[in-house]
Amino acid sequence: MEMENQLVELCLNSACESKDSVEKWRRQKRSLERLPSHLADALLRRLHARRLLYPSLLEVVKYTIEVVDLSGENAVDSEWMAYIGAFRYLRSLNISNCHRLSSSGIWAVAGMTTLRELNISRCLKVTDAGIRHLLSIPTLEKLCIAETGITARGVTLLSSLKTLMFLDLGGLPVTDQALSSLQVLTKLHHLDLWGSKISSSGSDVLQMFPKLNFLNIAWTNVTKFPNLPHLECLNMSNCIIDSTLKGPGDNVPLKKLIASGATFSNETEDLGFVGTSFLYHLDFSNASLHRFGFLTHMKALEYLDLSSTTIGDNSIELLASVGENLKNLNLSCTTVSSSGVGILAGKVPKLETLSLSHTMIDDVALSYISTMPSLKSIDLSETDIKGYIHLSAAEGSEFLSLTKLRTLDCLEMLNLEHTHVDDGSLRPLSKFPRLSHLLIRSPSFTDVSLSYLSILPKLKTFSIRDAVLTNQAFDFLKPAATLQRIDLRGCWLLTEDGLLEFHRRFPQIEVRHELFHFLSDPTSSNRPSTHLTPKKLRLNQRNRSTVTSPYFVDQRLKYSREELLALQFSSLAQSSTYTPETSHKSDS
Amino acid sequence: MKKEDTVKLISAEGFEFVIHKDAAMVSQTIRNMLTSPGNFAESQHREVTFPEISTPILEKICQYFYWHLQFASGKETEFPIEPELTLELMMAANYLHT
Repeated sequence: MEMENQLVELCLNSACESKDSVEKWRRQKRSLERLPSHLADALLRRLHARRLLYPSLLEVVKYTIEVVDLSGENAVDSEWMAYIGAFRYLRSLNISNCHRLSSSGIWAVAGMTTLRELNISRCLKVTDAGIRHLLSIPTLEKLCIAETGITARGVTLLSSLKTLMFLDLGGLPVTDQALSSLQVLTKLHHLDLWGSKISSSGSDVLQMFPKLNFLNIAWTNVTKFPNLPHLECLNMSNCIIDSTLKGPGDNVPLKKLIASGATFSNETEDLGFVGTSFLYHLDFSNASLHRFGFLTHMKALEYLDLSSTTIGDNSIELLASVGENLKNLNLSCTTVSSSGVGILAGKVPKLETLSLSHTMIDDVALSYISTMPSLKSIDLSETDIKGYIHLSAAEGSEFLSLTKLRTLDCLEMLNLEHTHVDDGSLRPLSKFPRLSHLLIRSPSFTDVSLSYLSILPKLKTFSIRDAVLTNQAFDFLKPAATLQRIDLRGCWLLTEDGLLEFHRRFPQIEVRHELFHFLSDPTSSNRPSTHLTPKKLRLNQRNRSTVTSPYFVDQRLKYSREELLALQFSSLAQSSTYTPETSHKSDS
Repeated sequence: MKKEDTVKLISAEGFEFVIHKDAAMVSQTIRNMLTSPGNFAESQHREVTFPEISTPILEKICQYFYWHLQFASGKETEFPIEPELTLELMMAANYLHT
């Protein structure tokens, strides 16, 4: 895909390189009007990412643009909106988190006949007056107005937007009355009402939206479980669930149920009203539950979060019986012990992520965990794991229990923070070639443990907090070329000079410590590339760490050869930003 | 360069560019035209006309084809694009799937 459109990519980079390059093409009106909309959209996105966009530049793509995403752009105000309102074929507009935007700014999009999707969530200044401007958009299908200044009155007005299918009213003071006025929106299939003022008695109205397949009523006073025939995803986090609403079917064909922090009554605890055959995502973290019998029939479960619930070893058997498809299991902050983990041994062939932090498990559990062949990520923080097992037969001889995990071929992440593991018992880790994230935290680690930085060939993140490390240990350290981030918080013996020296030698590595925080390459974050070729991109993704966007700035393009030569000697920290390849080579 | 190994690309103004077949094949669109079964004029005469692409843009495209081949074989150089050409070139590149 990327290879296929490489020239388009090169053109975008060249077009959006600087203010001057924009000036060179912005008057080519005939070309701009012929631009296919997906190219116009890409051009606008790139201009926005390069921070080259200003209101009157919006004018040039007036006849071609279909999708505009300016979310989080603080500059957006009525002037920007005036230009956006003139877009002839605008289909989707995202201006969420634009804090300067007010109701009068919304006036510009009033009457647009092509607009189908509008997101003004978290534009705090938009009020009921803004909603009135929207009522003249006859084609609106998706509307997000979460956490704006709109009141229940404004929500009532939405009832005239008959084409609405997707409505996000999160965080708005929607009342029972306002909700019932929305009954006329018969096409609605996605409704977000978290944090609204819907009362328990008003929740009967929810039955009047038969087409809903997504409903979020988290943090409301609703106590009745809605029984809708097409509901697939339901969020009732932090609700008290004490009964169900009468619906056409016996149970709700849910795929995803999130009831984090919810309280269940004796009657609802067995979840008899939930169709279990399709349910693959269940989040009951922090929920107040006493029986877990409902698990028995949930054969499709892939994601299960039971953290901070009352589940204990005696209910694990139920879990094991539905473990066949499980990929993600969270049992942290429960009373599950090593013998509970033993019940799961061999029953969860597809499990990839397992969290047992804040439980009482000890080293015995490690041998059970080693029977879960697909595990990629294990969280064992705040447990009783020591890393040693004393062999009773021969007094004094010890077995390093982490050796057991060596059978896990896919293991990428291991969290051992706040356990009793120390330098010695961590030794088996040197035989974990695929490990890319390792987290340890305890004062019993010393300079010896830093050696994993060079031993583990794929290590990307290494967190060694509260350890007794010295500056000298860093002097001869050669971290793996893949390393992106090292967390040294709480290592009180390290000095600023020592860390600076490390940063100077490995500027591509992000270092965290109380004394300072080095991002690996601050100039590149959130700024796209001026030169993006697939091969180069791959190289740089290996070396760099902070960049979450796929873009980076190749600083070589910003400067002429002479300027570069001058810069080379100005500061070493600077030079690293435009010679990542060479610095990488000299490191390895 | 043997005649069988070349392809002729004709711009909107009628300007002809004769380039190596391998270079032209960098474009997915041209590849499809030249390799599609049946007796299309394009595959018979090894000639493709682009009534939508002007001469300077088609010249740039041809340069790009050769640059791409070099790049793919490991020669990492920059391909400079004048900002004035970006819009038209982008459209041509989009059409040619290159």
